[in-house]
Amino acid sequence: MATLSINSLGKTYPGGITAVSDVNVDIADGEFVVLVGPSGCGKSTILRMIAGLESITKGDLQIDNNRVNHLEPGERDIAMVFQNYALYPHMSVRGNMEYGLKNEGLPKSEIAARIAEAARTLRLEDYLDRKPANLSGGQRQRVAMGRAIVRDPKVFLFDEPLSNLDAKLRTQLRGELKALHKRLQATFVYVTHDQVEAMSLADRIIIMSDGKVEQVGSPMDLYLRPASRFVADFIGSPSMNVMDGTVSPDRRSLRLNGSHQIDFGIELPAAAGTQIAMGIRPEHLHQNTAGETRIELSVAFIEQLGADTVVHGTLTGSQTPLAVRLNGVQARNSGDSIALSCAPEQIHLFDGATGQRLDWEQQ
Amino acid sequence: MVENRPILTFLTHAVLILGVLFLCFPVWMALVASTHGPAALSHSPIPMWFGDQAWENYSQLLVGGLPEAGGVPIGSMMFNSLVMALVITFGKISISIISAYAIVYFDFPFRMGFFWMIFITLMLPVEVRILPTFDVVVKLGMLNTYAGLTVPLIASATATFLFRQFFLTIPDELVEAARIDRAGPLRFFWDILLPLSRTNIAALFIILFIYGWNQYLWPFLITTDESLYTVVMGIQRMVNSGESLPVWHYIMGTAILAMIPPIVVVVAMQKLFVKGLVESEK
Repeated sequence: MATLSINSLGKTYPGGITAVSDVNVDIADGEFVVLVGPSGCGKSTILRMIAGLESITKGDLQIDNNRVNHLEPGERDIAMVFQNYALYPHMSVRGNMEYGLKNEGLPKSEIAARIAEAARTLRLEDYLDRKPANLSGGQRQRVAMGRAIVRDPKVFLFDEPLSNLDAKLRTQLRGELKALHKRLQATFVYVTHDQVEAMSLADRIIIMSDGKVEQVGSPMDLYLRPASRFVADFIGSPSMNVMDGTVSPDRRSLRLNGSHQIDFGIELPAAAGTQIAMGIRPEHLHQNTAGETRIELSVAFIEQLGADTVVHGTLTGSQTPLAVRLNGVQARNSGDSIALSCAPEQIHLFDGATGQRLDWEQQ
Repeated sequence: MVENRPILTFLTHAVLILGVLFLCFPVWMALVASTHGPAALSHSPIPMWFGDQAWENYSQLLVGGLPEAGGVPIGSMMFNSLVMALVITFGKISISIISAYAIVYFDFPFRMGFFWMIFITLMLPVEVRILPTFDVVVKLGMLNTYAGLTVPLIASATATFLFRQFFLTIPDELVEAARIDRAGPLRFFWDILLPLSRTNIAALFIILFIYGWNQYLWPFLITTDESLYTVVMGIQRMVNSGESLPVWHYIMGTAILAMIPPIVVVVAMQKLFVKGLVESEK
């Protein structure tokens, strides 16, 4: 159980490629932090730098206020769970779990007690003498977690641990992970590219792109107040509709590409004539039966998910993609058009050039 | 092209059986010849079935001093061959696994340069470098020693290359997991790499043991002392026994005896080898 503090951490590979630049995060004791982002955004590199598997080329890494930049992975008191499990194939489940403890030189009785405890927690008691080859994917991943738990480390690191599992098992293990975190009250750092995993597990999410932190915040922060267009697009499924437009001369309306003009009635937080983007989540758009029509969707195809129906298409008269989530089972034909409206407070605005969030309050 | 027609089954079996007979006939001849006395073998037709001299021939070969073979009993030649084959095999495996470990897992300057240097020696088998190597052995005073017999044959680029290729297939995460589990380089090698290489070692053991056992030219050059003769040399010396007639019953008996250890190794290790192949652990 420990705090983890990351100060202007950076990684530049020989050859000049910068994988991570200037990351600052303080992780509290017992916090479940998820690093999320698309492939190649540097999230795994950060995790590997915390683990000590990748050298740190810039900045400081502190575990419990001790600088650990130059410690070997084994000396940092961390444990890591890998995507492909990385179990020792020639050792039994017990052998896998006790290997690290043996190397630490713990007494036999202590090792046995810890393994019994971890096996009980993870329901692995019946498999202790099996080889990894004779286990299913979910069981192997539980063994990998067991190997981490028995070490009783200060920080648990997870590198996309559920990505190799099928969807159902993933959901199940997600629940187990959450329960495990609750029981252990330990500091977890978890890397994933799956925003659903991030949203459902995290106390706090660090969302990254191109080696930089885009936003740090609770899942609901990220969902309700995305700091940038990138975050808005990444969090939420289906992802947010973002439409580019130009601020009108009186700054009270937005002319979208195509023929739509959206009147806001209040001044937009941007100068007249500038390019900004307007974002609306598919689930915040409603079918407009009467009154003002704000935007119109031309249907391309629909996804019927049972509980709701996602209609994909374009903003009528333009190529801008647009999606809406409608409740229940709905039928729409390609080429239909749907009139939609949205509550003004659920509209997000982003700077056209930088992609940064524009806040209404700041005007 | 798997077809299930009786005529084809018959045909394929006929071809296989013919092949087996063809391959085994010389061995059969040697086995039969080693059980006859000298007289039966010196005129045609040569016998095709066992004679009654087996016990006498083999006991004479194993313990009696054979004047025809330089007075050295085959037993001691077999022992020399065994020592040579085993030292070469273990030496080759241990040196090549260690050098492959260094080349794959340690980042040192000119790493690839060293790898290629090792690899290029594939072009220099013993036969090519025999004179300089002989010179070195002489200057080191290793003539007529087991060290002289084995050390120059121990370096193996092939085995190094095979181990390197195998190590490259071991996922990086396994190495990283071991590092997190506080396994240092030696412990990683001993606890993880060696057990995982078990099947590769078994396969190499078979190949290298036979290579070592069958060495002829090198021991022939390096030993002048009869107590260090190997069995392969012994056969050759019996065939070229100067003016007297070749003692075919002894020669064939020696050949049969010389065949036994490689067969034992193949049969014993093959089990492990196949077991390792079937028990895929990835």
